[in-house]
Amino acid sequence: MTRKLPRYAPRLLAGASLLTALCAAAAVFPTLAADAPATGAPPGLDLSAPGVGWAGFVQPRAPNYDVARLFNDYANPATGIGPVSDGPAHPYVNNEVAREMRTAPTYRVADLENAAGKNLMPWVREALVKQNALAIQGRNGESREARCWEVGVPAFHLNPGVMQIIQTPKEVALFLTGRVRHIWMNVPHSANPKPSWYGESVGRYEGDTLVVDTIGFNGKTFVDSYRTPHSDRLHVVERFRLIDGGNTLEVAFTVEDPRAFYQPWSGTRNRHRVVNQNSLLPEFGCSEANDDYYNIGLEPVPTAEKRDF
Amino acid sequence: MCGARTGSHAVSFMLGIGACAVICEAAAAASDISGTYWATSYNPKIQILGGGEPPLNTASKAIYETNQAGLKDGSIMDKARRVCTPDGVPRVLATPYPFEIFQLPAGRVTFVYEMNHQVRSIVMDKPLPNLDTLIVDPRYNGHSVGHWDGDTLVVESAGYLENTFLDATGLPHSDELRTIERIRKVGNQLEDVITIHDPQMYTRDWQARFVYDERNDVKLEEYACNDTHRDIDGVKGVQAR
Repeated sequence: MTRKLPRYAPRLLAGASLLTALCAAAAVFPTLAADAPATGAPPGLDLSAPGVGWAGFVQPRAPNYDVARLFNDYANPATGIGPVSDGPAHPYVNNEVAREMRTAPTYRVADLENAAGKNLMPWVREALVKQNALAIQGRNGESREARCWEVGVPAFHLNPGVMQIIQTPKEVALFLTGRVRHIWMNVPHSANPKPSWYGESVGRYEGDTLVVDTIGFNGKTFVDSYRTPHSDRLHVVERFRLIDGGNTLEVAFTVEDPRAFYQPWSGTRNRHRVVNQNSLLPEFGCSEANDDYYNIGLEPVPTAEKRDF
Repeated sequence: MCGARTGSHAVSFMLGIGACAVICEAAAAASDISGTYWATSYNPKIQILGGGEPPLNTASKAIYETNQAGLKDGSIMDKARRVCTPDGVPRVLATPYPFEIFQLPAGRVTFVYEMNHQVRSIVMDKPLPNLDTLIVDPRYNGHSVGHWDGDTLVVESAGYLENTFLDATGLPHSDELRTIERIRKVGNQLEDVITIHDPQMYTRDWQARFVYDERNDVKLEEYACNDTHRDIDGVKGVQAR
């Protein structure tokens, strides 16, 4: 629309009121004045329109356990093994459930006897037995994210906040709570990816789905908020697509790790379209004033022992 | 791309609506500065354009001396390096790690720095809210608006958190800091000339200039506090670790 302004402009100059309209239009739609930058995204998967973000949780109008339960959890897949979850012995009550249902929140205790629990190799199971014992005592139940550590994949998706996305033909960048993931488009994996918290992600569009393949993890993260560990052989495939008329971003993922899980498992995390033209990308000031003030044995925040430069 | 720029200027000034002309100019065609950039040199002390020392006033001179001494003996924590909080502007401009510029989403220019995955979101063609509004929600790297002046991206920022330093030596600023950057491509380099306006701390405005090589061959890496990060020994002035 605004690209036509140059052609219309001389005629508009004839009338002051029309000129005012032109300038008003430029003020209201200034961004349209520049050439629209290429995103490389298929028309059905434009995730980075101005002001658009993707919220992991939108508060329901009335208390709703099923919605609140997924405040910061994966949903189970339609079929197959799902993520580690709570069990009947220790039902998990997240802060949102606690708030909506007027009950007390708990720490997470993993069910090791359901299908997801039985899918864990012995060392992983052992780690969760230890963690469960701590959580039951009310210790070590904070997520690592809350202690400012990088969270890895797929745990990146657990945060209930608003994810913002930039898409270019070369890269898709995901921004969430001051953390950034870079997905390199249409390139193969490196021969030897440098081990990292979010691994090396390469992406491609399959129709209206963004498929992201990630390897090269450093083995220091957990795949969920139950503190389920993994090895450096972790391989995650995420499929991002829009459902619900474009109002929901579905991230369906499959996790495989031949040294941690007997079989691949999968999960889903839906994010809801929210629009705020004034939103800024959040800064990562997590480690500022985030000490263990109450001496409850919180993990330390990441701290550089020596300077890089 | 307010196509009839010259004409609209002339007529609008005749009509006495100069503000409109400014908006039309602001919406001028964007130059393409998107890409990945990497400084070739690093200096812990910000280098003032034209040379000389920062024009500190008597009070801020004392603060600077305290900061310098405290950073040296460890009584003042350099949080940006110790626990990896964002640097603030202009310190982030001195980063010896690469960064990316996206002219996205539409209406924004987004800077993403490798070092501590800092981000700056520049809102295009909007006025900068006044300081009283901004300091309710101060940010490490401030609130920024931008517009194009020919091939130059002009970024005005305010609303800074005051607990950062202007450089690695502890040069102070107040929460009334206001910066204006003029950012443009010069050949295969990017230039950022920043003006520092902080009358609480400095007797006059002063400037610094940062230059980066375009490095679209480089992919940004992760940067988590205390990890072993990218090799930056090729950046002149980086001290041996």
